[in-house]
Amino acid sequence: MTLTPETVLEVKELTKHFPVYERGVILRRKLGDVHAVDEVSFGIRKNETFGLVGESGCGKTTIAKCVLYLEPPTSGKIFFNGKNITEIFKEGKKDLVLALRRQMQYIFQNPYSSLDPRMTVADIIMEPLEVHKHIPRSQWQNRMYELLRMVGLEDYHAERYPHEFSGGQRQRVCIARALAVDPQFIAADEPVASLDVSVRAQILNLLQELQQKLGITYLYISHDLSTVRHICHRVAVMYLGKIVEIAETDELFENPLHPYTVALLSAIPVPDPRKKTHRIILPGEVPSPVNPPPACRFHPRCPRRIDICSKVEPPLLEVRPGHWLACHNPWPSKRLAS
Amino acid sequence: MTSDRKMAQTTLEQRPAGGHRVSQWALAWRRLKKNKVAIAGLGIVGIFIVMAAFDRLVALYPPKCILGVSPACQLDGRLHSNSPPGLAYPLGTDITGYDVYSEIVYGTRAAFLIGVGATGLTMLIAVVIGLAAGYFGGWMDNLLMRLTEVFLVIPFFLLLLVFLQVTIKLAPANTGSIWLVVFVIGAFSWPGAARIIRGEVLRVREFEFIAASRQIGASSYRILFRHLFPNVLHIIIVLATLQIAASILTEAAVSFLGFGAPGSNTWGQQMYNSANYVEQAWWGTLFPAVFVTLMVMGFNLLGNGLRDALDPRLRE
Amino acid sequence: MPWILGSGSSEVSALPDPLLHVQNLRTYFFTYAGIVKAVDDISLDVSKGETLGVVGESGSGKTVTAQSILRIVPSPGKIVDGTIEFEGKSLMKLREKDMQRIRGKDIAYVPQDPTSTLDPVYRVGEQLSEVIMRHHVISRKDALAKATDLLRSVEIPDPEIRISQYPHELSGGTKQRIAIARALAGDPVLIIADEPTTALDVTIQAQILDLLKELKNRLNVAMILITHDMGIVADVCDRVTVLYAGQVCESGTVEQVFEKPKHPYTQALLTSVPNLALRKEKLSVIPGNVPNLIEPPSGCRFNPRCPYAQQICIDKVPELEPIGEGRSVHCHRWKELDLKSPVAS
Repeated sequence: MTLTPETVLEVKELTKHFPVYERGVILRRKLGDVHAVDEVSFGIRKNETFGLVGESGCGKTTIAKCVLYLEPPTSGKIFFNGKNITEIFKEGKKDLVLALRRQMQYIFQNPYSSLDPRMTVADIIMEPLEVHKHIPRSQWQNRMYELLRMVGLEDYHAERYPHEFSGGQRQRVCIARALAVDPQFIAADEPVASLDVSVRAQILNLLQELQQKLGITYLYISHDLSTVRHICHRVAVMYLGKIVEIAETDELFENPLHPYTVALLSAIPVPDPRKKTHRIILPGEVPSPVNPPPACRFHPRCPRRIDICSKVEPPLLEVRPGHWLACHNPWPSKRLAS
Repeated sequence: MTSDRKMAQTTLEQRPAGGHRVSQWALAWRRLKKNKVAIAGLGIVGIFIVMAAFDRLVALYPPKCILGVSPACQLDGRLHSNSPPGLAYPLGTDITGYDVYSEIVYGTRAAFLIGVGATGLTMLIAVVIGLAAGYFGGWMDNLLMRLTEVFLVIPFFLLLLVFLQVTIKLAPANTGSIWLVVFVIGAFSWPGAARIIRGEVLRVREFEFIAASRQIGASSYRILFRHLFPNVLHIIIVLATLQIAASILTEAAVSFLGFGAPGSNTWGQQMYNSANYVEQAWWGTLFPAVFVTLMVMGFNLLGNGLRDALDPRLRE
Repeated sequence: MPWILGSGSSEVSALPDPLLHVQNLRTYFFTYAGIVKAVDDISLDVSKGETLGVVGESGSGKTVTAQSILRIVPSPGKIVDGTIEFEGKSLMKLREKDMQRIRGKDIAYVPQDPTSTLDPVYRVGEQLSEVIMRHHVISRKDALAKATDLLRSVEIPDPEIRISQYPHELSGGTKQRIAIARALAGDPVLIIADEPTTALDVTIQAQILDLLKELKNRLNVAMILITHDMGIVADVCDRVTVLYAGQVCESGTVEQVFEKPKHPYTQALLTSVPNLALRKEKLSVIPGNVPNLIEPPSGCRFNPRCPYAQQICIDKVPELEPIGEGRSVHCHRWKELDLKSPVAS
């Protein structure tokens, strides 16, 4: 992606491999690598919600963890506001790392396990303040109540423990904790996947409101295309550690070009009994990321496979303005046809 | 079943507005109160605590008072040695003429000293090793766990006997010290607890709140002591309670075999002193043993109750 | 629509010969914190060859209803009241031994998590033939051959190889297919599938849903499909029963309920879930949280979250009212309300 002035986060050829070891007492033999993420590049603009979509094991969470250096990347560069942050994290200068941690925050998938059960909500929300000390101690309490109200909780919730809350309320606490340090950027990893359907909308709306109010940039990770369509401005589709397609949300949903994107879109059940969508059922299952298929990783399951697909890896190219695609034989474009 | 667990959990969610906070500990206490067996254990331990604290009031005679000889307990002026239980001495007297009941009461403090002292040392070692191995992982984990395994395969009890025997031989001045016994029991009992604590740390470390905290920028120190330690504390409490019982039992066994601290007045030592006269005066051996059993049972019941009350799997 | 498969009549309350008839079922859990009224007056009917969708969130009682039908409610749960009739016989009065004969043979169960349903120490073939041999007089060799056929019928490639594999060698999708094959082993007339695709990825979910539809047409087996996803209901089911907090909101054919929902909760479910087909600026929100089932709200349990709630909704529990065309609604105000569905527009 080209670096425009407004690009907040830029990921360049990010690769993350997890070594697989044989079990052993003292010496372990390396058996191979899980290719979680392979040479992935993309950029996120300011004030944008960038969606990362794919099925389990496609590497979307790994990317977010690498961006926030919860996992050190194997190779590749990540720039945040033009600074190479993997370098900063690797060098580990405390003040620089803390400054970055303040600007970038993470919302975890499971609000049941991401809050310490032994701490009150007040302690949880004030922990970032204690760590960063960016505002004077006398204001911590006020700031905490302000954050609680901002995410739609009440003052009396501060004294409660996480187990006294429902999933949706816990996720609000998680969001308040992330907001405590005034971040510019938040990576949200499936923030509504473990919530009841009737409270998902509340959290999605909250995230959108906060973006408008505070100008936050989101990296939104999900397997659920319907929430992605609702909340994201641009979307990247991942398959087995690779990005196969990036486009503006409307463009991607209305004019998908990669056969995997098309299949993924057609697989979602639409709550309308009259619309009997024609499903493209992909044969088989996602192959093991330890030995991914050569060349195009999707070719063993692809309905539009041609000879070259198993020989040459398709590069990610801009096929239309803002629409990037890695495919030798894309789905016929509705736009081009009409 | 997940759905009814989820429901049980929703029960606490909608407390009336402004309701005061309910910590995990308060919930555990509520659960413990419903467990009759655990409360019985707590009761037994409580009675023993009272006994130890007010031993002069609970006992019938002053310590080391030879019935019929010592000025404080003259009775009828005749030496009461190996006398069966009677009105003046409900649990009989031993060979020296001590009142078995009073001596048992005076032994309670020693039992607590041994139990709590040895457990303190055990848990200190176990917590340090368990936390370090579990949190830092890698070579540190490898090293500490191999060390733990070495200690685990050593026949603990034999080693204890040998160690006590050697120290008694080498440093006769220390032989009267009960602290040596406490130290030796404590120094060899930690491997099991260390492994359990490490396992719990490994489990808790994977929770997302640890990653969340690291992501905020929290230091290792903070993660270890603000998050990991409070979340493994319940296991430590349970282990400590059970370890107190185990230490008391070990000391009793060691003393009964004649390897204890001769100058100390522990129940094991009392049993040892009366063991040769068990045919004439069974009460001198039996009653201290009964009290050892009662106390060990009390701590075990309490420990098991605590485990049920604190088990995080019951929470969510 | 293939919903005609079952019977010509569409009267829910008066289906001529329903396969399964559940009336006023109540199943409570007696926990230390109090009595959890997980299922509190649920009624539903399934006729032959029909697929009934049971929709609800966690805590709506959908799983407990299924467990009650099979009489496998885990402790401390108990069925306190209600009738469950299967092929005209009352299942509540059956002895445990007779119930065992029905479970797995006449009524089969496909649980949510495909990993925990298969025993890790036995090969797939052994697990399947065990079920076959329990319900049919058949030799081990023939049972294994039938197991292979079953795997083929659920479209598992290379069934001859799969039959001698252990569960850990298989992927989630294959395991769920095997769970379905095992459900089919006793030639059931009714399959209860509890969130059969929730643990699976979208593309694998599509495969399994396709398989379920295909089986339903081929074998003419009736099915209760438990889910929280209205999309799956629209895709697979003939009729639907919407549950909320242990009670029925409404029942009807999928077309009726999706196009003209009569209960505010059903409507809210349809409008608050992001819909791929319609992109809106802001999702409409159901305020509040799923209620506590130890002390559920008085009157209609949805009243604290319902935009149309009035005093009567707090004071009085509504009746599950048959409103014709086989539909029934559990709402005081259904006649006055004109609820819009995003599907109809």
